[in-house]
Amino acid sequence: MTQEQMLEQIVKQVMASMSSGSAASAPSDDVKVTDADYPLGEKRPELITSATGIPLKELTLEKVLDGTLKAEDLRINPKTLELQAQVADSVGRDAFGINLRRAAELIAVPDARVLEIYNALRPYRSTKEELEAIADELETKYSAKVCAQLVREAAYIGYKRKRTKEFK
Amino acid sequence: MRSKRFEALEARPIKKDGFVKEWPEVGLIAMNSDLDPKPSIKVEDGKIVEMDGKKRDDFDMLDQFIADHAIHIEDAEEAMAIPSIDIANKLVDIHVPRKDIIKITTAVTPAKMTEVLGYMSVLEMMMAQNKMRARLMPSNQCHVTNVKDNMVQIAADAAEAAIRGFDEQETTVGIARYAPFNALGIMVGANCGRPGILTQCSVEEATELDMGMRGFTAYAETISVYGTEQVFMDGDDTPYSKAFLASAYASRGLKMRFTSGSGSEVQMGYAEGHSMLYLEARCLYVTRGAGVQGTQNGSVSCVGVPAAVPGGIREILAENLLAACLDLECASSNDQTFTHSDLRRVARSLMQMVPGTDYICSGYSSTPNYDNMFAGSNWDAHDYDDWNVIQRDLRIDAGLQPITEDALVEARAKAARAIQGLFKGMGLPEITDEEVEAATYADGSKDMPDRDVVADLKAIEDMMNRGVTAVDFIKALDKEGFHDVAQSIFNIQYIKCAGDYLHTASKLSSDWEVISAVNYKNDYHGVGTGYQISEERWKQISDLPWADDPETI
Repeated sequence: MTQEQMLEQIVKQVMASMSSGSAASAPSDDVKVTDADYPLGEKRPELITSATGIPLKELTLEKVLDGTLKAEDLRINPKTLELQAQVADSVGRDAFGINLRRAAELIAVPDARVLEIYNALRPYRSTKEELEAIADELETKYSAKVCAQLVREAAYIGYKRKRTKEFK
Repeated sequence: MRSKRFEALEARPIKKDGFVKEWPEVGLIAMNSDLDPKPSIKVEDGKIVEMDGKKRDDFDMLDQFIADHAIHIEDAEEAMAIPSIDIANKLVDIHVPRKDIIKITTAVTPAKMTEVLGYMSVLEMMMAQNKMRARLMPSNQCHVTNVKDNMVQIAADAAEAAIRGFDEQETTVGIARYAPFNALGIMVGANCGRPGILTQCSVEEATELDMGMRGFTAYAETISVYGTEQVFMDGDDTPYSKAFLASAYASRGLKMRFTSGSGSEVQMGYAEGHSMLYLEARCLYVTRGAGVQGTQNGSVSCVGVPAAVPGGIREILAENLLAACLDLECASSNDQTFTHSDLRRVARSLMQMVPGTDYICSGYSSTPNYDNMFAGSNWDAHDYDDWNVIQRDLRIDAGLQPITEDALVEARAKAARAIQGLFKGMGLPEITDEEVEAATYADGSKDMPDRDVVADLKAIEDMMNRGVTAVDFIKALDKEGFHDVAQSIFNIQYIKCAGDYLHTASKLSSDWEVISAVNYKNDYHGVGTGYQISEERWKQISDLPWADDPETI
């Protein structure tokens, strides 16, 4: 490992430890972006880091080839999705912005659990109570408030329309 | 005695098409049905308590989802008070900009928009479509498949499709387990043709999401929604599960759009006595409510149903326009084959080709029709020159351009060699030089040698179990000397990490600039405004390689 690579490794680890645990939190309040900053990757790259905390501009082909960057280093950061949600808000696409905020929350949820929750939301798969428990899990374990709200609504109307497991 | 004229007419291709008279009670009516709900809205304490004649307590899952998520409640009562014919007039009026109309159309109900569109002729709708398209410039998407699931041919066809102008490309499978190889073929091949092509592989939803997360694909569109609760249930989903899935895609940095289309509900037997347009309006409001950036709509794979009833092709245009009115990216179908008549298939597509949509076809078959695994397309590889001449005749930009045979051979050869190299670099079953040459010069899979399917499927299983990702593809391509292709596959991952392409109606330029309805808004406001064909672009469209040059005659 070269000195440069080692330094990068350290920075990466520090950044990762800083971002872990607060993965679903909003970016610092002082930064607000609009469509004037878009595309963010081009006009505001300094605001973007990968899920593991590496600055966008430091993601390069060379570093993939020499093994410095792994697949997880190329994943999107929840803060980036919040910034993109702000861009969506600035052009009046509020529902799209909410979707991006739900997405930001889901980054902290493991792939397998995301797929399980999706399946649990399908017709007749879960009872009202089971769906409410998932909502609680999303809220308490992952601070996924917007997602939790969606699941609670699904539990309410699903039960009311007799499309939950109780009515299978 | 038989009329010889009638006998001649009976032999025409159009006579093989199916037609049926309207039957509104079962939903066999395109639009303008007396049985559709009358528009209404009532808001109390910031909540919609009545919508289109139904009280909140009687809402089904779709009503509830739409009322809570898809309508700008604060503007709703005011917008609903505008007479529908006035909204229709605003849609056609060049002096009313898109953004003013969006404020109205996103604050009204599905029945209201159904009524608005019911007033409009196809000509008026085309005027409106030109103005309401989300992205400034139109584009086009293609299918790249073949009956053998041969990934070398997929790569070559994708490369050719890229230089012909398709900005997005979609594959699918004959054998489901082939999906990862087909996805690699289209991604590598397309980006050999030109850097910056977005690719997808349409398969079962969990597999599709998994492949997207690993970097086999860049976007997804086959996330279906339906216009009645019962059909939604038969599709094994709810608006809420689909909204959650949409967020799952975005959370992994993947662009996605929903799919819906008229005719699906009546085909599945639960149209609840409503017109196709009204039910499609409900689909689109669900799409908007889920916060998805766009839709693939325009009847899509149920096109035979609206096409069989009076005014059905008008209705398809109406549903595309409605998507644009809800500020959604619209990939406007023009895919599944629906007629035996060449005249009729062109007439159907002119509705989108002339005004332009975000993706005019979703997809155009980049292979001969026998290789199209999406059940055949209204347009295929043998129609390329016809499409190009229609663009040239009408001076429209429908996304494609003519190419030379040399350019075709060069692009196909490069793609076939790149997928050969990728397979070698990753230790996958060999792609022989014979296959590379066959794919370079092939028209369809009849020109391709057979592969060892058992060995391929076993290799796919091993590869997926190893947990390979885009990083492995990039390294393998570089190792085998395809540095520029490795760079392109890396750039796709970089773009995903920045998230800009998640926005409405995105595509990528060959310099990796994200082009979407955020930085390239449609600003049409009259003659000579909005998207204009540049001199350079017109040269590309008009310069038919086989046209006679007056100077040489």
